[in-house]
Amino acid sequence: MSGTTENQTSGTPSAIHGLKYQAAVPIERGKLALWLFLSTEIMFFTALIGAYIVLRFGSPEGSWPSPQSVHVVEWMGAVNTFVLLCSSVTVVFALENARQNTPATAKKWLWATIGFGCLFLGIKAVEYYSKYSHGIYPRSPRSLLYDRPDLTYLSGVKAETNRLIKNGSATVSSSSGTPTDSTEAEMQRRLQQLQTGLVQWTERTVGRSEDPLMQTRSIEALAWMIYPDSFGEAQLVRIEKFIHDEMALNQRRLIELEQQLSQSQQGLKSVQADLADKQKQLKAIDSKSTDAAVKAALKEAKKQLSTVKKVASAATVRLTELTVERNFLVGRIKAVNDLAQYGLASRGSEAGHANHGINHRFGLKLPMVIPSGNTWANTYFLLTGFHGLHVLIGIIVFLCLVPMTLDQRRGELVENVGLYWHFVDIVWIFLFPLIYLF
Amino acid sequence: METATDNSDMTQSDHRFVNRKPFFVTIFLMLCALTLTSFWIANSHLMETPSKGWAAMMAVSTAKAMLVVLFFMHLWWERRWKYALTLPAMILGVILVLLLVPDVGHRTDTYSSTRRTAAPLDGDVDSGQAQLGSQPESKASPH
Repeated sequence: MSGTTENQTSGTPSAIHGLKYQAAVPIERGKLALWLFLSTEIMFFTALIGAYIVLRFGSPEGSWPSPQSVHVVEWMGAVNTFVLLCSSVTVVFALENARQNTPATAKKWLWATIGFGCLFLGIKAVEYYSKYSHGIYPRSPRSLLYDRPDLTYLSGVKAETNRLIKNGSATVSSSSGTPTDSTEAEMQRRLQQLQTGLVQWTERTVGRSEDPLMQTRSIEALAWMIYPDSFGEAQLVRIEKFIHDEMALNQRRLIELEQQLSQSQQGLKSVQADLADKQKQLKAIDSKSTDAAVKAALKEAKKQLSTVKKVASAATVRLTELTVERNFLVGRIKAVNDLAQYGLASRGSEAGHANHGINHRFGLKLPMVIPSGNTWANTYFLLTGFHGLHVLIGIIVFLCLVPMTLDQRRGELVENVGLYWHFVDIVWIFLFPLIYLF
Repeated sequence: METATDNSDMTQSDHRFVNRKPFFVTIFLMLCALTLTSFWIANSHLMETPSKGWAAMMAVSTAKAMLVVLFFMHLWWERRWKYALTLPAMILGVILVLLLVPDVGHRTDTYSSTRRTAAPLDGDVDSGQAQLGSQPESKASPH
């Protein structure tokens, strides 16, 4: 190192007397260049991590997804931290051995560093897969994330349910006779239940209510049934109360409807008896008689028959309406109990814990409401993606060192690559708590 | 800036033939211990007031970063150029982040009432919930 500087000093023509060439920064050019590069990297990652912090703490209070709701596993992050720390030590050892002129040992440590780097990327890949498999992508069309339980979300669920039913019925009809037939038919039944009992019911509630809070709550309840993990304690209490109130009301309404139905059926029966009576009376009257009194009686009887027919038809329509209404209500109650595993007996926090979500239970990929979920996914993939890219580049550079003899002459090179690698480690040191523990 | 004697200083600071491996292993063990500390903080009572837990974890991370920078990256033994190449970059990075605060950090200040209704925690929503609870039948009735 000092030798290089002396060479430069002696090699400089001393045209101006009394002035000698001196390096402004007393380090090798390679190391200086690397440090200049690292200072741009400092700016890059400070801005990136800082922007994440600003976005995260500027999000609506209580909305940032918990690690569990976005399938972030703390211990995996901790293991990856350990792996990178190990790789930092091995690269330091590689440098020490290179400086002590023991290239074979240096090479072993270099391979160990490469191995740890690959292990880090492997664990990262497993983590990415767990996000992708749950529909957490940084952007649409693959992303299933919605920030709010609003009409956009509702129409998203509706479109996906309709698509599944359409595809499912095609599969069921095409694969008739196979052993999976019954499971597919069962799935199809579940989907129908989901379509009528949850999606159409919510649509109707939203359509009939003028209160925006009521509209939001009913869609929120749907979102909770599909994917409950993203809701905090405060929201759970509010959703459970909403569903409990609605279900209690539904039960009362069902009893009312059953009464109305039986009344309506009885009414229809009496009207039908009346109708038969009137028809008999009409038949009894001699239609060919020319007697004026008989003619008037015939006219009157016909009039009465037409009135009774109208009443009977109205009663039939009413009965049909009531039956449709009752079936819809029964469908709703059954759907909430079956699909969301919600029973009125489990009132309280148990209801929230009993529900594992329709997506999880039936292996579906319906749109999910995760407040601030899109911002989370964008920042997560951007931060870990850029960091992972740096790790990958580091591994490639280490692989370039493999064919070389890592003796004293290569010490500076190993040091420079090591500096880059340590910087990548420092970035992870900050990313680990920010992403996994906050 | 630097005098001719610096070169000899640097040669001395290289510790070329001293076995520093035990020292680096000590640093590594300290780093592992600090990682466990931040993991412990995340699951401790400190997270009951999250800001305290976050501050503690950031302090631990900074300590870890300092250990890596000073010893693994040898800045402890380097001369004053280390400040010229690291501090301005960090200051500029921090300024860039601070510039985001008014627009991005305070973005919820201008949120619409619709967004507030859907927010997980909000004062308006609490009052709305009370209203819903007091009149469940008229409100929750879909008919």
